[in-house]
Amino acid sequence: MALIEVKSLTKRWHTDRLALDGVGFEVKQGEIVGLLGHNGAGKSTVMGIMLGMVRPDRGEVRIGGVSVQEDRPRALAQIGAIYEAASFYDYLTGWQNLRALCSLSGWWDEKEVRRVLRLVNLHDRANAKAGTYSHGMRQRLALAQALLPRPKCLLLDEPTDGLDPEGIREFRELILRLRAEHGLTILLNSHLLAEVELMCDRCVILKAGCKLYEGPVPSRQDNKPVFQLTSQDLAKARDIASRLGASMNREGMVELPPHLLGSDIVRHLVEGGIRIDGWQQHRRTLEEFYLEQTGA
Amino acid sequence: MSLFFTQLRAEILKLFARKRTFIGFGAFLLLEIVILFLFQTKGVNRFKSLIVQQGEAFEKYYSALTIAHIVLGAAVFLLGGIYLALVAGDIVAKESEDGHMRLLLARPVSRFRLLLVKYLTCALYTVALVQFITWSAFLMGLFIKGWGGGYFAYSPEAGIAAFYDWGEGLRKYTIASLCLSVAMITVSSVAFFLSCLPIKPAAATITALSYVLIDMILRNMGFMEDYRHLLLTHHMASWAKTLAVDPQWAVILRSFTALVGVNTSLFLAGVVVFDSRDLKS
Repeated sequence: MALIEVKSLTKRWHTDRLALDGVGFEVKQGEIVGLLGHNGAGKSTVMGIMLGMVRPDRGEVRIGGVSVQEDRPRALAQIGAIYEAASFYDYLTGWQNLRALCSLSGWWDEKEVRRVLRLVNLHDRANAKAGTYSHGMRQRLALAQALLPRPKCLLLDEPTDGLDPEGIREFRELILRLRAEHGLTILLNSHLLAEVELMCDRCVILKAGCKLYEGPVPSRQDNKPVFQLTSQDLAKARDIASRLGASMNREGMVELPPHLLGSDIVRHLVEGGIRIDGWQQHRRTLEEFYLEQTGA
Repeated sequence: MSLFFTQLRAEILKLFARKRTFIGFGAFLLLEIVILFLFQTKGVNRFKSLIVQQGEAFEKYYSALTIAHIVLGAAVFLLGGIYLALVAGDIVAKESEDGHMRLLLARPVSRFRLLLVKYLTCALYTVALVQFITWSAFLMGLFIKGWGGGYFAYSPEAGIAAFYDWGEGLRKYTIASLCLSVAMITVSSVAFFLSCLPIKPAAATITALSYVLIDMILRNMGFMEDYRHLLLTHHMASWAKTLAVDPQWAVILRSFTALVGVNTSLFLAGVVVFDSRDLKS
């Protein structure tokens, strides 16, 4: 069942720039979906519309069946979010910041707040002013506020932005743990393709306000075997591969049609007089897929 | 309703957790000391002749209440306006600029409710600041002249020069200060409305102050006599009319109704503007 339904979103800014052009996708219960795209592709605009901070010209977002555009408070009661850089009140402590934010949700439970602060490893510094927090601590506080009070779904906009590698790993482990333990549904907007690859089940790729792809994270699919051929005679090898129905690029990356095995290609290449210096299965990374899709 | 008060309480705590919120209180204390010093050394004789010319005893009516009234009349409109505009001009614009709004509005709360909480916080701050000025000035008066005496309520702009005994004077002073608190909410309302526009907080504060000052200048120009009812400061000045021996309550009520109407309109206009905005960096 789709917990988040994004339906045909179109948004044109006042400058007449088209930010989104009929973008739609779904996020099912318990899924982690990555939202990918270059700067200006429309990812944050989609997030903004999902949170009711940006008004679409057309289309709507439904969360748990409730339209954000028609009943924002009820729709948002089901989600926690980090939208753009989380900016806390520096003159309040972490605890006071959480209290101020939770008051807007009409909820406060000290025991649960302590539990979440422990979960994000911020319980020792909860009573320090947010102005004294490091960037990593701010991000953890941002995640803590998103987790209060127990949302069904998390919308995370560049949550690992500016974190060091250790912080990114901690964040990833925490997100995966939250999904495993609480069945949280997560929509993740990130530039870090390797992170999306490690965390997400599916991804949506946007370019210039249009959806280019929605589906499983390509590196997790095994239905399209790709091999890397190393040879001095790639041009001739490409001809042979092409006659067999396989496609091969200039770098020797061979993508097989479903009816062929890797060994079939090797046999035909050798019989065609090609000297093979290397042949190994290649798992296409999300980065490669992304760059291919976006034409970068 | 209890949820609304929880949210209001959180907003008030947030406001008073900021050091700059207290600048206004500190500045007024300082100003009160300066005014009292100058008045005691330079202005007391002029004031003495005013009281004597009315046929009253200077020693009786030069009291803590009279001193507090002098300070209140001299300080609130101009300096009070600055601090009220500063706080109300910041309350939406600064939060938008700093990105706090994105954090707040990721919560299940409507923009109208969020702005209502913020507006009421501004209104409460206004009342708190004016009451602080009122009673700190009174305490200073007590420090100089002690308890008791009379009250010479002198406000030439409102056409008032009234003499009261201590008890009646204290009651009049209290009522006038409450009316002044309500009147000053209009300054906060102007700044609040501007704060809802997509402009910098400093621009909201300066524009609000400019508007109030221009309004005040126009009020003092002879050729504006027929149009005074259109000026905010004309209605705001009605607080002093409560000090008359026999106040014209209908006139006072008309002015305050006009102010309430202006405040409500400014709040709603601010909500409409803010509601139409896309909040994205």
